[in-house]
Amino acid sequence: MSDLGPRRVVVTGLGAVSSLGKDAETLAAAVREGRSGISPARSFDTTGFPQVMAGEVPDFDPRASLRTLDPGRWGRSALLAAAAAAQAVTDAGLDRAELSRARAGSAMGTTSGEAPVVDRLTRQWVGEGLKSLDPGLVAQVPAGRIAAAVNTELGLTGEAQTIPTACSASNYAIGYAADLVSTGEADYMLAGGADSVNRYTHAGFLRLGALAEEVCRPFDKDRDGIITAEGGVALLLEPLDRALARGARVYAEVLGYGLSCDAKHMVHPDSGSVAECVRRAHRSAGITPDQVDYICAHGTGTPTNDLTEVAAVREVFGDRLPPISSIKSMLGHTMGAASGFGALLCCKAIEQGFLPPTANLREVDAALGPGLDPVPNTARPAEVRIAQNHGFAFGGNNAITILGRVS
Amino acid sequence: MTISTTTAPLSSAAPGPSTGTLPRVRPLAITALGVISPAGVGLEALADALAGATAPCADPAQLPLGPSEPDGLPDNIRVVPDFRLADHVGRRKTRHLDRTTGLGLAACALLRAAAGPPPGEDADPAWDSTGVVLGSTSGSVRSSSEFARDTHVHDRPYLVDAAAFPNTVMNSCTGQIAIWNGLHGINATLSGGTTATLAAFRYARNALDRGHADRLLVGGVEELCPQTAWGWAASGALAQGFPVGEGCALFAVQDAARAREDGAPVLAELLASETAFSPEGVRPGVGAVLADCVTRALERAGVDPADVGAVSLGATGLVGFEEAERRAVRRALGGRTVTEIRVKEVTGEAYSADGAFQLAAVLARTAPGQLSLVTGIGQDGHVACLVVRTGEGA
Repeated sequence: MSDLGPRRVVVTGLGAVSSLGKDAETLAAAVREGRSGISPARSFDTTGFPQVMAGEVPDFDPRASLRTLDPGRWGRSALLAAAAAAQAVTDAGLDRAELSRARAGSAMGTTSGEAPVVDRLTRQWVGEGLKSLDPGLVAQVPAGRIAAAVNTELGLTGEAQTIPTACSASNYAIGYAADLVSTGEADYMLAGGADSVNRYTHAGFLRLGALAEEVCRPFDKDRDGIITAEGGVALLLEPLDRALARGARVYAEVLGYGLSCDAKHMVHPDSGSVAECVRRAHRSAGITPDQVDYICAHGTGTPTNDLTEVAAVREVFGDRLPPISSIKSMLGHTMGAASGFGALLCCKAIEQGFLPPTANLREVDAALGPGLDPVPNTARPAEVRIAQNHGFAFGGNNAITILGRVS
Repeated sequence: MTISTTTAPLSSAAPGPSTGTLPRVRPLAITALGVISPAGVGLEALADALAGATAPCADPAQLPLGPSEPDGLPDNIRVVPDFRLADHVGRRKTRHLDRTTGLGLAACALLRAAAGPPPGEDADPAWDSTGVVLGSTSGSVRSSSEFARDTHVHDRPYLVDAAAFPNTVMNSCTGQIAIWNGLHGINATLSGGTTATLAAFRYARNALDRGHADRLLVGGVEELCPQTAWGWAASGALAQGFPVGEGCALFAVQDAARAREDGAPVLAELLASETAFSPEGVRPGVGAVLADCVTRALERAGVDPADVGAVSLGATGLVGFEEAERRAVRRALGGRTVTEIRVKEVTGEAYSADGAFQLAAVLARTAPGQLSLVTGIGQDGHVACLVVRTGEGA
């Protein structure tokens, strides 16, 4: 334990590039309206695919947010991450030059890294053979470039960690970044994640039987899976005392986080292990279940996930469940960015006083048990003091962050 | 949830960066390890090859190529010889595992055999709560690429092998190590190319310091495959004729004081683990950033630069970086040149496993009490440094 810490850590900046808006405010407004960001995929040739819906960022122009990076030299996931991070810095009211002189870095999560680049190189392999690979594309493959892109765009010399723990990766990144700020290892950290829609991930989920036909319906009796999606998201973390000293707007405090590992199966979640993750997050945050006002669910909308997740929540919360909703019903499954978008919307829920809805909900699945409030279809005004943000992943990598209002 | 308002007065000026040195860090102990490399199985095999007593394997016939058979491999490779996962973990349930996961499981099996007790039907509580933190930059590029290929060569693009899909996510090896060994502690994967293992150590240090874990298996893994080998060849990033390699090394890591209380063998102490970043085009550049990183690591370790006796460099063979790294370390050590422990001639450019092999080489080649550095520079701006003291148990 550092003798500088533990400092209280707050979120003062938000950035987002998503199918529902290319900035945090537009995204939050769309979520409050329960809008859908899903349309037929355009980023890959869908010929021959029976299911083609995806949550893509329409007409993403990296130059809209970026000043430093040459978009031709970086993969889409890196550019999404850097664009979101640049926005978060602006949103936090921080001067780039000052930030670059501070002890500042980034931690970014991902599932598939630069999968579209891997796919393009694979097409070169199929077409011309492996001796014909384009060196410019080869250089873009390493997933570690996602955090590198953030640091390079912003001129940051602190850590640049990319944490590819699949679909809970942003929560891992937020937790790690919060630790660094809390202990004084860093004074500012950008934390979040990025992923890009791509052909082989889409095919994999389809073949696994986890892809929805048309619509993602978490908690619905007719739910039939996920919609693959993409985006970049970033939160700017700094110590509370600094934020107050500079008169910053404070969205929320990172109260704590919990991690657990199922160590059972690569793709099937384990409710006991998820419940343990919830308990660890509560211990880390110093809260009890009755203090949680809202759960931002992992909520993929596959039959198995939603059952497992609700069972795990019941194991900890008993019969008094807080409202629990899934933003994947609107954004689709943004993979490594998913829990980052969850954290961002928890911050907005705390700031603006609303519960994000679960869209596309026609009839709640009775098998999920009584007393479940998935905030059906439209957002609800509510005071959110403490929000619990879920992320579970292939490999049994569970990560939950707890965000709280600073009053 | 309320704040006392005795904090600094509100001001519109952003505070400048903190100055002052960071606090000392608690030493971590390495209590067991497992290594599988182009020199063969175990640390002894690596030590023999490093000493020149044996030659590492460079035989392309040792690597089954699958659909990339027509492409073959470039001339200069280093490959784990005679690698059959069944030799390490038995035959059951291994059919769908890729080579990255196989190398990880083999290294873990070797570590467990060394550390005892072996995995059995009864969950051992010490292992049950152990976690895994692994450097693996893009997971198995071969798995992702072959999976992607299936979507392009089949008439129906979605007729991929569902059982192979989990191999395409980058935390697959780390997750499988936990599944096969019943390790329920935190499970994390770090990218970062040639500095990926050092990033994993940095992550692990935080997790141990903050009480997220008591014991972690930390290391790095990389498989040799035609996709990455030809990728290296296309990139021109490696010096002419420099080999591309593979393998995995894993280290059991815990708080050093507790390890001694528990009577565990201390193979080495990790006295500091630091990482930083040098953005392209920003002065003073990657060498100066690494020199600062090394200086900071030494300060936090409480080690006088004059006492460092050896360094294992990570950028060996990387065009434009090898000499920059050497100079940066020399600068951080007050202009002194220390013994270089070279490992890549044996292991090849093993990318995510580089740092793990560098550390293994330090343990293999230094005497108890020796202070060494393990450093790295990545091609995208990452720099990192470990400060290591070789233990009596090595």
